[in-house]
Amino acid sequence: MPPPAEHDRSRSLRRRALVAMAVAAVLSLAVGACGQEKKPVTLGLIVKRNTNPFWVTMKDTAQDRAGDDNVKLLTAAGRSDIDNRSQVAALARMTAEGAKGIMITPANSSAIVPAIERARRAGVTVIALDTPTQPAAAVNALYATNNFQAGQLIGRYAKAKVVQRGIKPKIAMLDLSPGITSGQLRHNGFLNGFGIRNGDPRIVGSVNTLGEPGRAQDGLRALLKLHPDINVVYTVNEPAASGAAEALKSAGRSQDDVILVSVDGGCDAVKNGVRPGVIDATVQQYPENMARLGVDSLAAAARGGPKPSGYKNTGIALITGDPAKGVPSKNVAWGVRNCWG
Amino acid sequence: MAGESVVQPPVAVPRREKKARLVYPGFTVPFILLICCFAAWGSAANLTDVLVGVFRHIFTMSNFQSALVQFAYYGAYFSLAIPAAIINRRFGYKTGVLTGLGLATVGGVLFFPASRLLSFAPFLVALFVLAAGLSILETSANPFAIAMGPEESATQRLNLAQAFNPVGANIGVLLGAVLILPNLTPEPAKLIMTHQQLQDSHRQDLNLVLGPYLGIAAVLALIWALIALRGMATPAEQSQETDEVRGGVMGRLWRNRHYRYGVAAQFFNVGAQVCTWSFTIQYAQDVVGVPTKHAGFYLQASLLLFLAARFLMTYLLGIFRPTLLLFLLGLLGVGLALTAVFAQSIVGLIAVVGISLSLSLMFPTIYGVALQGLGEDTKFGAAGLVMAILGGALLPPIQGRIMDAASTSAAFIVPAVCLALVTCYALFDLRTKRDGGPLVAEGAH
Repeated sequence: MPPPAEHDRSRSLRRRALVAMAVAAVLSLAVGACGQEKKPVTLGLIVKRNTNPFWVTMKDTAQDRAGDDNVKLLTAAGRSDIDNRSQVAALARMTAEGAKGIMITPANSSAIVPAIERARRAGVTVIALDTPTQPAAAVNALYATNNFQAGQLIGRYAKAKVVQRGIKPKIAMLDLSPGITSGQLRHNGFLNGFGIRNGDPRIVGSVNTLGEPGRAQDGLRALLKLHPDINVVYTVNEPAASGAAEALKSAGRSQDDVILVSVDGGCDAVKNGVRPGVIDATVQQYPENMARLGVDSLAAAARGGPKPSGYKNTGIALITGDPAKGVPSKNVAWGVRNCWG
Repeated sequence: MAGESVVQPPVAVPRREKKARLVYPGFTVPFILLICCFAAWGSAANLTDVLVGVFRHIFTMSNFQSALVQFAYYGAYFSLAIPAAIINRRFGYKTGVLTGLGLATVGGVLFFPASRLLSFAPFLVALFVLAAGLSILETSANPFAIAMGPEESATQRLNLAQAFNPVGANIGVLLGAVLILPNLTPEPAKLIMTHQQLQDSHRQDLNLVLGPYLGIAAVLALIWALIALRGMATPAEQSQETDEVRGGVMGRLWRNRHYRYGVAAQFFNVGAQVCTWSFTIQYAQDVVGVPTKHAGFYLQASLLLFLAARFLMTYLLGIFRPTLLLFLLGLLGVGLALTAVFAQSIVGLIAVVGISLSLSLMFPTIYGVALQGLGEDTKFGAAGLVMAILGGALLPPIQGRIMDAASTSAAFIVPAVCLALVTCYALFDLRTKRDGGPLVAEGAH
């Protein structure tokens, strides 16, 4: 093969210019890809516990978001879901360490309020995540699931399935506990979505489960003895749903005979409950949205933006492998890839 | 196929040298540039595997719709195979390489208007153009590499150039895994966005896709400029198949069952490969719940396994009969794909990654076995095997449809069936007597 031909000077210059232009184009693309770093700020996140997957997801998301946004995130957790003292101490410590904003999931909605007020007087913006304070105005803002809407959506689904199957509903309500707002809101939402009220004869019984599988199993087993024809089971959360599923199984009830619905959207329940059809549907909530919105709005406020205020709904989605006509839902795959825990 | 090297017609060697050097004097830089081409199309092809999941995420579309990405990509490869050969024959390999680079650059640049239009179809057009260019580039680059040096070192030169293809493939997946997937707007975040916020997130996510493709386009343009301005003479070429292909070739090939079934086996092999790699990320996300930002690394692991296994298989092929290895690895692949179907857990995901081990051997082995003993019909027969790339265009949408109708795990029945058919081909070869002759290597004729 012959060597390259000789070139004259002008051709050589033209070539070099073209190559330089090409290199410049590549470099400009690379430079354009680099963003500008934001002013560093310090924020805090206090969750109820470090072991519950819901709070772990919230914390992991907040840390990821903080890392992407030049935010130093201080974190703390209580020793139990009712450990107010640790949360009070964490608020004081984070304020002293210069946190400009703090997100907190109150372990005790009213007992935490004085500590929050002290932090706010020191100039800290405080957002409650998941659980409201009492009074709600104790914090700048609340980012949480709308539990009434969650219950309402699962109620609509259960109703649509009852109509689709042409059955006469006999409903068992596996609730949380009296006085806990989230459980009451889900309960009322379910009734609203189903189109009934408390005391409706179609509700054959209710059990306070505290969201524990054992209590749910025992409670439903007792109800099934009295009303073996129960065909709709509402559960306040997925641990209660797993207990209910055990009770139904031990009573010899096929999962196809009973409409079992729940709220939460944890990974374990979606993969092992909804995917095999043991739980017909669940409403998924998103601790990651709470954390992401919290970090974004507090960082923006710390950098001179508007302070967060009011209530922000962090979203829900109905997850089911057996959709009901007229009820918006996502499939199990969607539920698995967006579940928490 | 993309990610594989395609057979080319023979090239005349201009002159012999006393000592076989790797390339002719003055061709070191052009050869390096050509190596960059091999890496570039590997990058583009496997970045496309990532795109299937990315577009499903961005456009909230079905798996069937997102699989049309592969239909556009491999459809272009299939459609342009013959035009590429015509360009090479009439204008030479350098023109072929430049045409391919130019068209692929245009395809990459077309991602820019596509990202502004915020809809799926323009991306398919951009991908089609990009893949059309890469098809021409791939068809031209192999013989061009052969023609850049003495005949004695042709195989060495070709192997060296082809070694950079999987390197590029891994870079392509890495680009997707690092630059695109971790930065996509999370699906739950979209649930609470206003219409305007959704539009903004849509735009932002599509810009993530735009970046790597503009980068690839910039690199291709740079290579185009450097090759065009090198002033290399086009290698002389022999008279081509048109003179050699006689009317009876088609008939002879059709009557040859090893060849006929080989084309079918290659169709299913390419289909299994593209299906597996296109939906690895989705399996990680949908079945196991791997976060989006980490899901790409399982595809990366697949490609690294594929690369490492190729070296291992090269060694084993020197010990065992190729179709025996093909049979065993086919069975392994079927077993792994069925594991993916039934074990809806991390075990299933590991099985999906493991399928790449069985795939590593298949393309070159089927290629060699199908063309064995074809003699003067080899070149024409090779074209048929290359056209089997159509499996990469047609089978992913079928898998996508099953994903939508059943589940992500159940849809891995498609690669399982494909690999079973490849295994049947190996069994057929093992149980039938045929005339001997050496196996034909990719790009070696």
